[in-house]
Formats: sequence, C-alpha cells, structure tokens
Amino acid sequence: MIELFHVWKQYQKPFWALSDVNLQIRAGDFYFVTGPSGSGKTTLLKIIFRELLPTEGQIVIDGVNALKIPDSRIWKLRRQMGLVFQDFRLMFQRSVFENVAVPLQVIGTNRKEIRRRVFATLQKVNLHHKMWEFPGRLSYGEQQRVAIARAIVNNPEIILADEPTGNLDPELAFEIVSLFKEINKQGTTVIIGSHDRELIRHFGDNILFLQKGKIVGKEGR
Amino acid sequence: MTIICLSFLIAGIFLALSNNLRDTARDLADNMTISFFLEKDATPQTTADLLKEVGRPAFIESVRFVRPEEAMAKFQATFPELRDILANLKANPFPPSIEARVRSKISTAEELVRFVQAMKARPGVTDVQFNQDWVEKMQSFSRLAKAVGAFLGGILILASFFIISNVIKLNVMARRNEIEILRLVGATNLFIRIPFWLEGIVLGLLGSLMSLGLLFVVIKVFPLYVGPSLGALQQLLNFRYPDLAQALGLLAAGAATGFTGSATSVSKFLKN
Repeated sequence: MIELFHVWKQYQKPFWALSDVNLQIRAGDFYFVTGPSGSGKTTLLKIIFRELLPTEGQIVIDGVNALKIPDSRIWKLRRQMGLVFQDFRLMFQRSVFENVAVPLQVIGTNRKEIRRRVFATLQKVNLHHKMWEFPGRLSYGEQQRVAIARAIVNNPEIILADEPTGNLDPELAFEIVSLFKEINKQGTTVIIGSHDRELIRHFGDNILFLQKGKIVGKEGR
Repeated sequence: MTIICLSFLIAGIFLALSNNLRDTARDLADNMTISFFLEKDATPQTTADLLKEVGRPAFIESVRFVRPEEAMAKFQATFPELRDILANLKANPFPPSIEARVRSKISTAEELVRFVQAMKARPGVTDVQFNQDWVEKMQSFSRLAKAVGAFLGGILILASFFIISNVIKLNVMARRNEIEILRLVGATNLFIRIPFWLEGIVLGLLGSLMSLGLLFVVIKVFPLYVGPSLGALQQLLNFRYPDLAQALGLLAAGAATGFTGSATSVSKFLKN
C-alpha cells in the first residue's frame, strides 16, 4: 500500500510542483497518473521512489515511513520497485543484456539465473535478438523497451513508469501497457504517468488527474 | 599512474641508497681493525709484550703481528699502480705493526678510545690508526639518507595519494550516471564502492610495481653510465636493490595509497 499524506513539493518559490496531495494506492492496483505537461506527474513518481524529498507531508509504503529511511538504507525501498524513466537512464557503455541484468546483480542473483531471467524478460519486450547490442545503437523505442525490461526483470512489488510509451508507436505502446497489465494481474502494483488519452481510456482502471500540482479528479475503484 | 610510479621510484632510490650506506657502515664496523705501528728497531721481547697487552681487553677479538715485508706486499697488492715507486726505494719504508680486530658489537666506544690513547703513549709504539670515526660518520650518513628518503618519499607518496584520489574522483564523475542508476535499482553503497576501491588498489599496485621495475633499471644502468666518473664515491653511491620485505612494503604502500585515495573520493561522492 502506498499512502501520501498532505504532500507538498516546491522547487522554486512561489510555485508548488505538488500541492497537498493525499493518495492511497492499494497493493495490486493499476493506476494512471495523467495531466498536462508540468502538472506534477514526474514529481509525484519521484517522491514515491524517494529520488526527491517532499517539502512537506508524509509518505508511507507498506507501513514504513519512507521519509524516515536513512540514505544508506534506501536500497531496501528501491529493491521493491521497478522504475521506468522518461529519459530511460540506461548505461550506454554496457550492452542491453548488462543493463537489464543490473537489478539482479545488485541482489546477488547467480549468473545462470541472471542469464535465464534476462533472456526471458527481453523476449517479453521483443528485444532478445538485440541482447548484445549497445543502447546507443538502438532506436528510442527500443531503448525504452530496455528500460522496461530492466524495471520488470526482478518481479518487483511496485512498478513506477514515467511516460513509458512516450517514444513508441501506438501498436507497441498498447503491447507494452498490456505487458504491464499482465504483470499487474500477478499482484504487482503499477503506477504509470502518461498523457496518452487513448491508452488511458483503454487500460485505465484507476486514473488520477493532476493539474498544477493538485489532484483535480479521480476515476476508478 | 606515471606520477604514482615516479613517487614510489624516488622513495625506492633513497631506500636503495640508504641500504648501501647501511651495509657499507656494517662492513666497516665488522672489519674495524686497529693498527699499532711499532718502532723499526723494536726488539722481539717488546713486540711480544705489546702483542700480549693489545690482546688483553675483552673487545679485542684477535691480534696479529705484521712484518714490514708483509705490509709492503699488502700495499703492492692494494695499489698496483704505485708498485714502481716502491721498487725504486732502497729500503722498506713500512714499519712493523700489530693489527688488532675489534669485536663487531662494541658497546663501549669510549673504553676503546681510552685503550688506544694509552697504547699510543707506550714506548715502542710510534702511531695508532683506527677507523672508528669513519664508521660513526657512515652510520650517521646512512641514517640521514634514510631520513631524507622517508621525508621526500613521504611527501611524494602523499602527493600520489591526492593524485589517485583525483583520478578516481574524475572516474566517479564520469560514471556518475551509472552510479545514479545503480542506486535507483537498489544497489547498496558497498556494491557501488567495491569496483572503485579495486580500481584504486590496482592503480597503486601497478604504479609501485612499475617503480620497482624502473628502480631495477636505474640500479643496473647507473654504474654503467655515471659510476666511473664518481671515483672514490662510487662505493658510497652504489645502490643496493631493496630486499623482498622492502619491495613488498613498497607494493603494500602503493596498494594502501590507491585504496585510501579512491575510498575518500567515492565516499565524498556518495555523501553528496
């Protein structure tokens, strides 16, 4: 369960990137966070995985106050999550395989298991044939799929994806969100930040509308 | 790595130099002899008495009577180029003498000096020669070389510590993106640090290993090029290669410098 209580975030006075956000996302929910550019979607996601600290408010994840976790222990929180970033954040000096293997390496998975799981995950995103390529040689869409593979490879409890289909053609975008949906069916909480209305209309169980950092509407269960 | 290597090379050169001075001083101390020159017409009785007296103190290991012919033969063997001058002399210029070997570990230098002074005043003894001053000077010179080596080497090793630290800092900066990603996927700080630590250790080890190699070259090449022009100083400025313990010490210092340099720069980055 992800709970946000009166969360405010300010980068620069007098503008508030988030204003008094209160939110409860139950384990296993599938959520779309939507709104125009600059509405606070990315800030909200970054605060949940604690890349950013809120100016005010509290965040509780699975009963643990995320703001009380010291920096040296933040890995515990991050290992529960799979993250997909708007800018992909891939390691360009490493192959696709190595990029996807990183979350497994940090938890000490053995090599054989890493090979098996990375290959299976790359098959899911249809990139297994480019396993030994370097990300710089891939298209934007392919890089995005590498980022998605990295986020799902260790079966996290929560997936946070910021515009995961932003660079994909509609067909592939549907395929990718279907993949998230499939993962969600196995009990993983999925939160996707997107402004793709077509996708949201098609897949959105729960939709959160943001505008100028405020929640202006909710749809769903 | 060049700077690391040069820093350790300089420390190594001073180590090799002080090794040689230390060994020379020890050789001199081991071979410390006192020569009591006797009057040319000393009677066998006087010689026998003096031999007995010289051999009495506990710090004298052995005594030996050196006849004038023997002294001349020794001189000719030591300085063959002066053989002609000796051949032109009508008589043997060397007086008879008594050579006393002093035990290598003498704790009572003053007692030795007193003994020599007393013997000098004895009838039948014309002069006394011994090299204690020289031994003491060599020992203090060796200590000085070691101290200068430690000081300069220390400064340079400190400099290489900062250099390694900065090299790693640049590497950390260059891999900032990678480190950021590792943190986001749940890597512990230790997981991130270990490769940088290893990098620092390898840099330091390679630098000091290269310096040992270069030191070997310097030690081999130095006498060939510079040696002959030093004349009598050649013996003093001869380099003796560091022994195994010293070489391992240099390698360990290299690894430790590399490790500390990288550990401090990664820690600073991870704290930010």
